[in-house]
Amino acid sequence: MSTPPPELSELQKLFYAAIATKDANSIQQLQPQMHSTEHLSFERGLSAYQGSVVGKLSRALEDIYPVCCRLVGAQFFTAMARQYIRRHPSQSPDLGDYGEQLPTFLAQFEPTASLPYLPDVARLEWHWHRIFNSADQPGLDLVALGQVPPGRWPELVLQLPDNSVLMTSPYPVHRIWQVNQADTSSTGTIDLNEGGVNLFLWRDQYETRIDLPNAAEWQLLQAFASGAPFGEICAQLEHNDGIDVTALLPIWVQRGWITGFTLGWDEHSSG
Amino acid sequence: MVSMTRIQGAGIGLRSQHYAHILTHQPAIPWLEALSDNYLGGGLPLYHLEQIRAQYPITLHGVSLSLGSADPLNMDYLTQLKQLADRIEPVHVSDHLAWVSVNGHYFNDLAPLPYTASVLHYVADRILQVQDFLGRRILIENLSPYLQFRHNSLTEWQFLAALLDEADCHLLLDINNVFVNATNHGFDPLDYLKVLPIDRIKEIHLAGYEEQDHFLFDTHGYPVQPGVWELYQQALQRFGPVPTLIEWDTDIPSFDVLMAEAQQADTYLCQHHPQN
Repeated sequence: MSTPPPELSELQKLFYAAIATKDANSIQQLQPQMHSTEHLSFERGLSAYQGSVVGKLSRALEDIYPVCCRLVGAQFFTAMARQYIRRHPSQSPDLGDYGEQLPTFLAQFEPTASLPYLPDVARLEWHWHRIFNSADQPGLDLVALGQVPPGRWPELVLQLPDNSVLMTSPYPVHRIWQVNQADTSSTGTIDLNEGGVNLFLWRDQYETRIDLPNAAEWQLLQAFASGAPFGEICAQLEHNDGIDVTALLPIWVQRGWITGFTLGWDEHSSG
Repeated sequence: MVSMTRIQGAGIGLRSQHYAHILTHQPAIPWLEALSDNYLGGGLPLYHLEQIRAQYPITLHGVSLSLGSADPLNMDYLTQLKQLADRIEPVHVSDHLAWVSVNGHYFNDLAPLPYTASVLHYVADRILQVQDFLGRRILIENLSPYLQFRHNSLTEWQFLAALLDEADCHLLLDINNVFVNATNHGFDPLDYLKVLPIDRIKEIHLAGYEEQDHFLFDTHGYPVQPGVWELYQQALQRFGPVPTLIEWDTDIPSFDVLMAEAQQADTYLCQHHPQN
């Protein structure tokens, strides 16, 4: 492996700190290292980079969180994004990875405390973004499943798609999300007290979906998500009249909600 | 998928806003350039790219190799890039003479390098590693720095010419960036073009800059400016009809606007015969 010239490491650290974190000390140390021209003074060059870096990250957040942006207004969102960017430097070459901590940030952000549902809307948008951009998930390998001897079925761990999420909120966030889509014509009002929701986010081929499972489906989804073996899940739900696991299972496989399984050390997950 | 090893004429940068237009109308464009970074995750973006690739040659252009960074090469990124290239079979894979990360923190913006001999050898070595890993030569693109290091012992064009040779790679010559730099940093753009090795220039980029109060800013959000068209023609005189791409990244207009820009470039390209 090639070793960087020592001056390169030092200059890059200084350059990064002066631009991304606007650290005053670093700016002061960087200035004598840089060359000014008639048109482009050090201050102008520095400010061009500072603006460009914040602009890129801020636009990335707007792209990922359009509903939050709409709920608080573009100007407010940009100001909030600046504070977020200062606290959370980008750690990935992919701008699509940026902004994961925004829901947590919003939960502690005093100026939006009057919108208590906002962090959950952000959570929904983050999951949507990740699922939309995720790699294709191959379906369940039915041939491999067919080779599992019936005696070992209780040990099977059935898996939900890698690109799926179970999400719970005390607010009707899916409806807030829906009426605030750019292409929606809905102007319906939403009663924040109408009760909490359980949402299952997943992708049907290339269509990202937000489904509202009924109580029985939700319980079964949670059981699969917990990674419990099939036998244990059946035993748990045996006395629950609302759930017929053997009836639901083929439907879920068909639908694409079950996409892999493991059996002891034999991995048959398609993820 | 049509196998393509060469491109010619004037292509257009592929942007998601235009997927539907391209797939529905199949406009007469010789090739499209996809931003590699947008397709590494797969999903719907890659699905669209593969549909478009079935009908057009594609070049892949990235921003995150961070060739000049003091950090080790990001092997996860490089692996994803190789998988994408293996799947899409692009005519070219390109990135920038820049760095975008240090200490694992990313700028997500292209930062300039000090142009010294030791940096030259270091970057050349990294390009060789990348080419080795990808199993192909890459194109590197000149950028428009707004700050320059006092340490520079070489000019950008000297550095670039020496790097192409030492790393045995190709050049994606951004004419807009040469024009912007010449204006901002006060040099003659022809001095720049004069030293570049003709046989290593495989693609040209054209884009629109924005005029700030005292300097030019490379936003890729405007039509190609008159001075850049002029410099482009001078470049074609020297280098021949190098395949040329219209890049537009912010405030993306309708596809017809991009087509008109590409047709303008094509008119100039047709006035020059290949240099063999």
